[in-house]
Amino acid sequence: MNALASMLSQAFLAPAFLGFLGLLPVIVILYLLKLRRTPVVISSTYLWIKSLQDLTANAPFQRLRKNLLMFLQLLAVLLLAIALGRPFVRASGSGGASYCVIVDRSASMQTLEEGVSRIELARRKALDMVDAMTRDDKMMVVAFAETAEVLCELTSDQVRLRAALRSIEAADTRTNLRDVMMIARSLAPDNPDIASVAAGLQLVLFSDGRLADLDEVGVGTASLSFQQIGKSANNAGIVGFSVRAPAEGGDPQTFVLVHNEHSEALSSTLTLSFNDNALAVEEVIVAPGADQEVLFSHPPLGEGLLKVELDHADDLAVDNRAWLALQPSAQVRVLVVSPTDSTSGYYLKRALSLEPRAQVSAIAPESYAPTDDYDLTVFDGFAPPGLPTGAAVFFNALPPVPGLASSGVIEQPPVVSWDANHFVMRFLNPDSLGVTSALRLTLPEGSRTLVSSTGDVPLIADVSQGGRQVLVVAFDIAGSNWPLKLSFPLFLQNLISWTPRGAATGDSFIPTGKPVPLFASGNLTEATVISPDGSRETVALDPARPSYFGATQAAGIYTVEMGDERQDYAVNLLDRNESSISPAESINLGRGEVAAERGPVRQTRELWRWLALAALAVLSLEWWIYSRRAWI
Amino acid sequence: MSVAATEGRLLEPEFMHRLERLSILAKRVKLGTSKGERRSRRKGSSTDFADYRDYVQGDDLRHVDWNLYARLEGLYLKLFEEREDLTLHLIIDASRSMGFGTPNKIDFARRMAATLGYIALSGHERVCVEAFNGTAVKRITPCRGKASARKLFAFLESIEAEGGTELETACRGYLGRNPSKGVSVIISDFFDESGFEGCIRRLNQAGSDVYALHVLAPEELAPSMSGDLRLIDSETEAFTEISVSRALLQRYGSNRDAFCDSVRRFCTARGIGHMNVSSDASIEQLTLHLLRRGGMVR
Repeated sequence: MNALASMLSQAFLAPAFLGFLGLLPVIVILYLLKLRRTPVVISSTYLWIKSLQDLTANAPFQRLRKNLLMFLQLLAVLLLAIALGRPFVRASGSGGASYCVIVDRSASMQTLEEGVSRIELARRKALDMVDAMTRDDKMMVVAFAETAEVLCELTSDQVRLRAALRSIEAADTRTNLRDVMMIARSLAPDNPDIASVAAGLQLVLFSDGRLADLDEVGVGTASLSFQQIGKSANNAGIVGFSVRAPAEGGDPQTFVLVHNEHSEALSSTLTLSFNDNALAVEEVIVAPGADQEVLFSHPPLGEGLLKVELDHADDLAVDNRAWLALQPSAQVRVLVVSPTDSTSGYYLKRALSLEPRAQVSAIAPESYAPTDDYDLTVFDGFAPPGLPTGAAVFFNALPPVPGLASSGVIEQPPVVSWDANHFVMRFLNPDSLGVTSALRLTLPEGSRTLVSSTGDVPLIADVSQGGRQVLVVAFDIAGSNWPLKLSFPLFLQNLISWTPRGAATGDSFIPTGKPVPLFASGNLTEATVISPDGSRETVALDPARPSYFGATQAAGIYTVEMGDERQDYAVNLLDRNESSISPAESINLGRGEVAAERGPVRQTRELWRWLALAALAVLSLEWWIYSRRAWI
Repeated sequence: MSVAATEGRLLEPEFMHRLERLSILAKRVKLGTSKGERRSRRKGSSTDFADYRDYVQGDDLRHVDWNLYARLEGLYLKLFEEREDLTLHLIIDASRSMGFGTPNKIDFARRMAATLGYIALSGHERVCVEAFNGTAVKRITPCRGKASARKLFAFLESIEAEGGTELETACRGYLGRNPSKGVSVIISDFFDESGFEGCIRRLNQAGSDVYALHVLAPEELAPSMSGDLRLIDSETEAFTEISVSRALLQRYGSNRDAFCDSVRRFCTARGIGHMNVSSDASIEQLTLHLLRRGGMVR
């Protein structure tokens, strides 16, 4: 059944309407029941019978001819039902349609295919499509990598379309197809299927198919054409890079994960350097399609830039290098507002004090006064009338967030699901969390439930509002087994990292495309960011909250100059999906497989107009025959 | 009350007056049933000399030609022609199929029979009339003389179209009841599934001058029906489903012509007078022109 549906969806835009084919047997049945003839008494049927016999004898295929009207009606219904199903063919060249050309400009599109990058190949194919446009065709251009961008709205102006396509350059980032589909959805807001069937928009995706978030995209497969770009699989890249804290009495270790996409084993060297001084060189051998960990042991390094480089000439260069900005851990100032004798407060303070980055202070609720001195405020069973400046977490209390309300208490709510994609839920498994009672929360618009119980009742939720990071935990941790679980200290650790200062400290890197947080120090009002290509950009600073620098499309070192201070930030791709450059043969968008297409773009051409015209012609013929009574 | 006035429904008085000047023609000299005004094959007592024959014992001596005896010394009898009447047989098909048409065929048959019957009665001929449908027969006793016209007309008016058609059976029965030779006129549409030939052949073999009036309604000659129809045979109630089409109408037309032609050819081949008429034809025109031209009346 699914196979049939999948097959139909390859040929019809609205296969559900093929249900009208059920009318065919109805017509046959009606004919079998015979049409109602008017009885006429005549003197004798002697001559009529003879005439009928003669006509039958003289006419070949008389049986067929007798039912000619029925066959014509069946044909008309067949044509109409098929037309309603909106069949289409894929053909070269255009024909009065609207196209949304989506160009993948993620890192993998930098792959060189016989000296030409994939992005250039995609551009050429898209330009060919523009050249093939007729006057009635319209096209829009969307490029996407970490974010999606409409480069040219729906137009038939080929000059603008060409200019838009020529402006696309590959970034060093991963993909985020969901944003593209959000754009497509906005073009057909009434249509639940972002395939924009109602808008008649045909999506043409130029990509190598290395798309990370396909399962989050619900697109009808019929109106999507996946143009596969590239063939090469010759790539090996660094997909993991981190420094591990030294074990007791040992040296710190640098961990590098190398992925080999090529069909042949990789034998190369990894060079680790610190502030451009080579630290170590390790030989690395990676089986085809496999990953290989490499560990470098070295003495503590202090502050500086750690760089790892894979000495391998392949088709994708961006993943052959990675950096880490090593810097002393900045202290995240944490305030725990908790009654002095509170058990939960004890757990919180204890767990937070284990985190070396946290500088924990505690205060009783009655002594609490709003202050800007803390990066994270943890409220335990108490909520002030206003939110603090930094991030805030409320345990068993309702933060003063508009729209957030509590309607009673739920007893022993089981954990049903959790959002592992949220930053504070990383590495957590709250499955075994047991809670005696929790507030029944009603979340405001735009909130995100992190842990939910039966009936989507949130137990932990992100209710951040207007740039203020606010989390709410709906239960008293003293009334739960959470403090005894590993997930509790991990949660607090994530909380520390979640705060902007926590995110910016430590031996870390920022994924390409993600913003670099900038914290004002002193009375500075602006900072200068020097990108890897040497370009400088000034960013205004806000003393009250972190500012962000978002133009991190290229991997490399971003230097932030703030007065006399300089700080380096490492921006890396480090994405296995992008390093796996072999093009996908099909992409699965949740509603069916879309096979890759090569060669000239074969655009979807709907056939319903022709079928409807044919049905009209058949109906006219049927009526003409009926009125002329040319046949029996 | 005059006959004409009484029977105005069938024949107009003026037309009847004109009919009185006509007479039925017989191609062959027939034996009559009683004295009349037509030559008979019998030798009789008219004033017209016919022949001589030898005297045989028992002959009436009054008929001996004595002048011839004087010359030839032999006894010869002088024979004179006999004058007898003519019997007009009117055989009317009163099956249900005759009740169709505008005007309907049975009405035409009544008026045609009245016309011919009146001509015959006016000429002091003997008129035998029978209407049949299926195996049922309706008849009156043979009549003669104008005075019988009322009786004839009353009978004709009482004929209703009902029942089926069995032409041959009807004719066989008729000939059994009315063996006298004369002029036989059969008025029918000849729609008989068992065929019309047997009936005409029997009438012809009976020795009469036979005339076949093949009457069809205008609707049968040129059907004006359309659509998807279930045609129900009035006599057998069998039905045929048709969707009227041009092809079917053309085929019907050619079949109708072939049918009429087959009746005509069958009759002509046997020296039988035949006339194919539509039930809306004018009886006056038919009688005063066509029948006269066809040698049926004079």
